[in-house]
Amino acid sequence: MADAAFSPSLTAGSRLKGVAAIWREADMIQRMAMVLALILVAAAILAPLVAPFSPEQQSLIARLRPPLGFDRYRDGYLLGTDELGRDVLSRTLYGLRLTLALAVIGASIGLVVGGFLGILAGLIGGIFEDIVMGAVDTQIAIPFTLIALLILSIFGSSMEVMVLVLGVHGWEQSARIVRGEVRKLTQMPFIEAARSAGASGPRIAFKHILPNVVSPLVVQFTLSLSNIVLLESTLSFLGLGVQPPTATLGAMVGIGRDYMPTAPWIVVAPALMILLITFAVQILGDWLRDRTDVRLRAR
Amino acid sequence: MLTYLARIVLKMLVTFFAIVTLVFFATRLSGSPIDFVIGEGITQEDRALLTSYYGLDQSTWVQYRAFLASFADGQFGLSFVERRPVAEIVGERIWPSLQLLLSSVALTLALSLPLGILGAVYCKSWVGSAVMVVAFLGYAVPNFVLATFMILVFSYWLNWLPVVGNGSAWHFIMPTITMSGILIAGLTRFTRNAMLDVLGQDYMRTARAKGLSEQTVIFKHGLRNASITILSVIGLQIAGLAAAGSVVVEAIFAWPGIGDLLVRSAIVRDYPVLQFGVIAVSVAVLLINAVVDIAYAYADPRIRLGRA
Amino acid sequence: MKRLLATTAIATLVAVPALAVELTVGASNIAPYLDPGRDHSNVGSQFYHNTFDTLIAKNLDSDKTEWLPGLAVSWELVEPTVMELKLREGVTFHNGEDMTADDVVFSLNRMYQATFPPYQVRARDRLANFEKAEKVDDHTVRIHAKRAEPLWETLLNLQQVMIIPEDYTKALAGDPKVAENDDYEAFSLKPVGTGPYKIATFTPGEQVVYERFDGFWGDKAPLDRVTVKRMPETASRITALKTGEADIITNVAPDQLSLIDGDPNLKTVGAATALFHVMIMNVNHPKLTDPRIRQAMSLAIDRDTLNEALWLGKAVVPASHTMQEFGELYMPELETFEYNPEKAKELLEEAGYDGFEVTFDTDAVYYTNGLLAAQAIMEMWAEVGIKGKVQVGEKWTGNAPELMARNWSNPMYFADPFGSFGVMWAPNGPSESEGRFNTDEAYAKIWERFRYSSDVAERKAAYGELMDRIKADPPVLPLYRPYESWAMRKDINWAPKPGNIPYVLDFRAGSISFASN
Repeated sequence: MADAAFSPSLTAGSRLKGVAAIWREADMIQRMAMVLALILVAAAILAPLVAPFSPEQQSLIARLRPPLGFDRYRDGYLLGTDELGRDVLSRTLYGLRLTLALAVIGASIGLVVGGFLGILAGLIGGIFEDIVMGAVDTQIAIPFTLIALLILSIFGSSMEVMVLVLGVHGWEQSARIVRGEVRKLTQMPFIEAARSAGASGPRIAFKHILPNVVSPLVVQFTLSLSNIVLLESTLSFLGLGVQPPTATLGAMVGIGRDYMPTAPWIVVAPALMILLITFAVQILGDWLRDRTDVRLRAR
Repeated sequence: MLTYLARIVLKMLVTFFAIVTLVFFATRLSGSPIDFVIGEGITQEDRALLTSYYGLDQSTWVQYRAFLASFADGQFGLSFVERRPVAEIVGERIWPSLQLLLSSVALTLALSLPLGILGAVYCKSWVGSAVMVVAFLGYAVPNFVLATFMILVFSYWLNWLPVVGNGSAWHFIMPTITMSGILIAGLTRFTRNAMLDVLGQDYMRTARAKGLSEQTVIFKHGLRNASITILSVIGLQIAGLAAAGSVVVEAIFAWPGIGDLLVRSAIVRDYPVLQFGVIAVSVAVLLINAVVDIAYAYADPRIRLGRA
Repeated sequence: MKRLLATTAIATLVAVPALAVELTVGASNIAPYLDPGRDHSNVGSQFYHNTFDTLIAKNLDSDKTEWLPGLAVSWELVEPTVMELKLREGVTFHNGEDMTADDVVFSLNRMYQATFPPYQVRARDRLANFEKAEKVDDHTVRIHAKRAEPLWETLLNLQQVMIIPEDYTKALAGDPKVAENDDYEAFSLKPVGTGPYKIATFTPGEQVVYERFDGFWGDKAPLDRVTVKRMPETASRITALKTGEADIITNVAPDQLSLIDGDPNLKTVGAATALFHVMIMNVNHPKLTDPRIRQAMSLAIDRDTLNEALWLGKAVVPASHTMQEFGELYMPELETFEYNPEKAKELLEEAGYDGFEVTFDTDAVYYTNGLLAAQAIMEMWAEVGIKGKVQVGEKWTGNAPELMARNWSNPMYFADPFGSFGVMWAPNGPSESEGRFNTDEAYAKIWERFRYSSDVAERKAAYGELMDRIKADPPVLPLYRPYESWAMRKDINWAPKPGNIPYVLDFRAGSISFASN
């Protein structure tokens, strides 16, 4: 189960070699996805340096100007301006930054909370396990978009609530996976040995179990990352996400759609960004899953 | 088998009750929805009057009991906004949603089964890679982006397709494609993997060794054996994905279905409708899950004999 | 020769109805219920005029006030507080019942002596001066006011006192002889009136289908069938017009006008609506109690630039809370509101503004250009040094103590300052009651003169004094009268009528016709 590339006990040097090995193993599409992901992450991190304008700087006299190469192009505004005369390129870069940040935070919360509850459920068992797994089943039963609608309609739309919603998403998968692993591992001889040697519960959890659930969790994290990007975009598109003037990619598409016939450029850039992120992350996640799946690798 | 059935039903009931209770108390967390319902510019005296008329001045506990009681009369309470029974409002929207779901599932099956098989059979060649790229792209294009651009091209520029509601067969084209995108992507990948699994099995080699044609091998033996797994995934995944997809698709195309209703009730805080909608969709998903569970159990003697 | 002409005319008359005239209207919103009495929303206003009549009608082709017989053929004041009306004979409701004095008394008293809470709420802000209606004979009624009423006709021309059938309504639920709350709830889903169109189907929030009512007492409806359908997405609505799914669409944002006008098959019509988009400020917010801060918030806003940028200059920026439709009470000479960033800076300095954040609440979509204007206003505030922040939400925050500023609209519910400023800013009215506006005894006294004086000059003087009070301690700034646009097929002749209240979709005789081609 434990895959060399993801085992945390490796040294820095061997990790580098691991990266090189990953690159060699990857096919064309996967390499493309890796490069794409790197570029997107770099753009997001460097947005404040790269963006030509502040994302909120308006100019009411230069609203809805088209991108470079069209009539009425406004100098310096490469991808055109939006409904308040703001620079579409700058807003897209900042939107990308915020979208990715929200996705990473959301997926991390789900991972940590779910993983933690999963370990506890697996180790403690009994009624606690029933409650956790009952909650997992309940959440799986309700399509998550509905849960999100419910939460947002209750707490209103704001950045904090959005993080909460995204955090709630995916915890149940992590919990399920981890608990399954824990149940399996506790049957294994080396845990029994540790236990009979007098190791405490938490010690067993951290020293012996955690390292073994890392790789399925990494896969889960990657997969839920692209789901979360889509979820956040969808909610923002519906006007239920982060509120203006702050923009995520989904919100830009959502507000820009009113201008589709007159100024489609407002929508094109952010829509393309969402597509690229989910495409890259999906391919990488899928590949990671295949790599960690022993059965598949053997073939 | 009976114990197994009983366990499934019991589990469903518990989950159902948990959902109902959770949904109810969750909606009460934000305090009174009266400010959303009656909105702007009335005096405090009038506000109090309407709050009591809508029954929102009662304690949460009383409201909860009334809410549970409303299940008994089959009306599920009154909408805050439309002032008519929730069952009636949701009821008139079930059929449009179902129509869209069915047309999307049909399109999904028609495309993803052949694509998935192609992807598996030619998994080593460019055909297989192309199938996978298409599948990933289908997953990566958010449905709202797809819808927005289709409307621009096929309706606004070309004037080919209508964009609002479900008035004719033409109205189904864009919503169905939008809904199906993600389903096709998912099912294609799944079919491919399931077929790959099956194709690698010993009995397939046996079949080939017997000198059966490749077509017979793939369709008669391969697909039949993969179909059980594929069907279960359709049951489990499509219900959830479709519920999520319908929210967006119906909102964009003003499709008079449940998804559109849920978004609107969420925005105006029409809690009776939102509660019931969430519960109804969840029950539908629960039921489908139960049916799949039972079907599985029927196929798998280990479960049937109560040793899950 | 004469005979030939006559025959041709008859032939034409016969031939025209054979071609059923049907229209589809794409509206951004459809009402969740249809009852003219409980409703005063902008969404609902679209629908009532086609289906219901008032006792006293109005010449809608003019923005000057000219009263016409409606369901009452004549009316006279028999005492200072008692109006007697003679009812039109031979009027039938859509369900076939004859309209009699009983129906009129029932319709009026359901508001004047309301027991149904939504009616009580609606009646209180504009019908508080009316005591009761009573039947004199089958076609005569008397209406009693509590004190002399200067606005008799105006207040009998309101949507809220449109006439509905008594027996039909009472029989909808419960005891068929008694008017219960459930009767009114049921009525709002199955509305029946006396107007030229009956409502054939109503799907709340989705669509309204009108059909011509052949028993209408006046000029017959020009259309056989009108379907008003919900088309919430701006782009979809415009697209639907292009594809022919809709013949007329409502609520076209100014940014889209040139696009539609550029299409050879389509056109747009519009008008500055009799409604103000306003900014309200909470005079009781601890940080805004100093009027100078609010004056600065108001002075900093360059409304003409907002108009140019967001409305293509087609909105109307008012100098005071006044509209042309007020007739003799239109007072453009008042200078209550202005743009003066220098003065704003001075006032901020005098008031010792320390840079605290001023929040501005807005709904994301409710007001056309509302969110854009809010964001632009933040930039204008920044110019004078006010640190503003937009808060977007669907919840009405006008009654929240933490409200600082937000957008709102002050529609003209009827053509008098009482029907606009008066509804919203009366002593103990909604604004004061929500805790963001204060009045004192002096304000109440001026208010009395404005509301009840029978002398127009006196009312005008009083209104001017009210505006001075608003200027000195501002709770509100009217931003502009928005320019509301409709788009349609080129061969359709339709435009909003100047005498109607905002948003009415008027398809009565004389309101719509088709270019012959």
